[in-house]
Amino acid sequence: MKRFVRSWAAVAVAGLTLTGCGFGGGDGQSEGGSTLSFLVPSYSDGTKSLWEGIIADFETAHSDVNVELEIQSWDNINDVVRTKVQSNAAPDILNIDAFSGFAADDLLYPADEVVSANTVADFQQSFADNASIDGTMYGLPLIASARTMFYNTELLERAGVAAPPKTWDQLLDAAKKVAGLGDGVYGYGMPLGSEEAQGETSIWTFGNGGSWTNGSTIAVNTPANLEAVTFMKRMIDEKATQPDPGASDRTPMLDVFIQGKIGMVVALPPTVGQIAEKNPSLKYASAPIPTRDGQPMTLGVADHLMAFKNKGDKQEAVKTFLDYVFSAPVYTKFVDTEGFLPTTKSGAAALAGKKEIASFLEVLPSARFYPSTNPQWATTQGAMQSLMGQIGQGKEPRAVLDEIQAKANG
Amino acid sequence: MMTNKLMEVPAPAISARRQARRDLVAALPWLLPALTLIVTIVLFPAGYLVWTSTRDVSVVGVDRGPAGFDNYVTLFDSPALGRVLLNTAIWVVGVVVVTLLVSMALAQFLDKAFPGRRLVRLAVIVPWAASVVMTATVFYYGLDPYYGVMNQFLVDVGILDTGFGFTRQPVPAFLVAMGVAVFVSLPFTTYTILAGLQMVPREVVEAASVDGAGPVRTYWSVIFPVLRPAIAVAVLINIINVFNSLPILRTLTGSIPGYDADTTTTLIFKYIQQDRQVETASALSVVNFVIVLAVIGIYLRVVRPMRDE
Repeated sequence: MKRFVRSWAAVAVAGLTLTGCGFGGGDGQSEGGSTLSFLVPSYSDGTKSLWEGIIADFETAHSDVNVELEIQSWDNINDVVRTKVQSNAAPDILNIDAFSGFAADDLLYPADEVVSANTVADFQQSFADNASIDGTMYGLPLIASARTMFYNTELLERAGVAAPPKTWDQLLDAAKKVAGLGDGVYGYGMPLGSEEAQGETSIWTFGNGGSWTNGSTIAVNTPANLEAVTFMKRMIDEKATQPDPGASDRTPMLDVFIQGKIGMVVALPPTVGQIAEKNPSLKYASAPIPTRDGQPMTLGVADHLMAFKNKGDKQEAVKTFLDYVFSAPVYTKFVDTEGFLPTTKSGAAALAGKKEIASFLEVLPSARFYPSTNPQWATTQGAMQSLMGQIGQGKEPRAVLDEIQAKANG
Repeated sequence: MMTNKLMEVPAPAISARRQARRDLVAALPWLLPALTLIVTIVLFPAGYLVWTSTRDVSVVGVDRGPAGFDNYVTLFDSPALGRVLLNTAIWVVGVVVVTLLVSMALAQFLDKAFPGRRLVRLAVIVPWAASVVMTATVFYYGLDPYYGVMNQFLVDVGILDTGFGFTRQPVPAFLVAMGVAVFVSLPFTTYTILAGLQMVPREVVEAASVDGAGPVRTYWSVIFPVLRPAIAVAVLINIINVFNSLPILRTLTGSIPGYDADTTTTLIFKYIQQDRQVETASALSVVNFVIVLAVIGIYLRVVRPMRDE
């Protein structure tokens, strides 16, 4: 009862605060200017000051527009946004991964109504396509991330693996050899915990030519996906992975790699910085992600900015701000500081020489994306996060995929 | 319960009803703040919860209209629900019973005078003073198979060959969580029973021993009846707390796939955060509320802990 009362009290207070925010926005309007509410997730400890700097510079140049920044953690932001939408207090601009649910409920401005034609033209085509539903672009791709395989050169050498694996069979073989070294060393790190099970699984299914959609509907239990997941289970059963992959989250598992106890993992751009900070003496190198037949493939992820219609009276102010954010110097500084990959042509040109992200920019052309434009994807992704790890606990791949498909169908 | 008792007090005969009404009106300005608080933070949200459970809410939070009992149908169709309900029963009964037995022993021990009793009593409060999330996190990292100190200890003393993933499989993780739940429930329960023990008149115990009763007989026939109300309060509050407990299970079993280590309370959060189904989560919350009321009703009826001897 206590928890019940307390959590509802929190909701009630949040509700009251939100209404307060709504009125606050109205006041700003009457003074002749516009106040934009801007909700962003925290990518790193520096995200807040980075945005504050950008907003301060923007407000100096545009005294009639006032931007109110709100930062949330990735753990909370989905709940916060849903609560705001439910109480008719959506932010004017939101930074988050998926936009399709909002677009499906007709809450968003199309991109060309809130940024100039030049800004739209500057987005790289693959990201623009990934941000569009039926040819209409709703999301403004802000940052991108890709994956590549990191391997511990010392462990692979000791295990007698001459070159990093390119195919699944080579990966299985190499991982078993590394695991054979014993002494708490594992071959391949497979994080199927709830943090990002959908990421690891997509790396395998996409590496088998699989896909999560069948045109317009979510298709999880297809033969190609089943084959990929079956091979994942084989990796687990033959002890080529760390123990209990079903309950391993990516972040703590990468720490084990950074400690030098895992042979190979699929890593992200920020991993480079984490290794430099936590264990600079780690001897590692990167290689393309192994796929079934060795075709290059990487998992691309893009986060987007999106503008909510709300009362429809702030479109001009939103446009001024978004054009400013995507102007080359401002945008390049943002992406560079956060350590991600740029989604604009001008940003890619400016950052082409940065060596931390070079190995990721290289694989970007072969990037495959989540079907995040499908409104059912959010549910599917959640089901994968909570259910996929069961293959590491003895459950049959077919049964797990069927279970996720059932959730996706609703 | 309290209010019932108060209302049962027989009123004096003289136009009692009118007098009572006048008193109520006079008291209203003083009651108003409390009433406002109850309405805005208890009744309104509870009503909104029931309302949401009958609506069709999209994944991003847009209310798409009435859904009747569809959300309840979705909920009861879920294949995971049976196991989750069983887990919930094991969780509540297991934690409450073990907590009660350990607390009764601990309270008995702390009631005796011995040097350093004050320090030991303080030590028992510590798990209570620490944040539950913090305690659970300490256990989670301590039991980590790669760098956990508890695992390292078990390896060093030779009980295990390599670290064991206590928190990586549903059954061991659930048992660990129950252990932690007992650990954090002990202080309150122990102190409630200890307070009860202080009310046992020394003369009665002495009389029992003069009459030739052994320690066991003395405990069950003399001390236990006096403890009854204290134990009743402790059990009731523990049932509610343990049933609604989220942080321990979420910290210790949150990364485990599937629903084999979930109770109804953690399932509510999985519905919200992973499936993004606020309406199904609301339906389950309503069911949760009904279950807790039913359990307490049954407890009060069957055990009759409050009856006067």
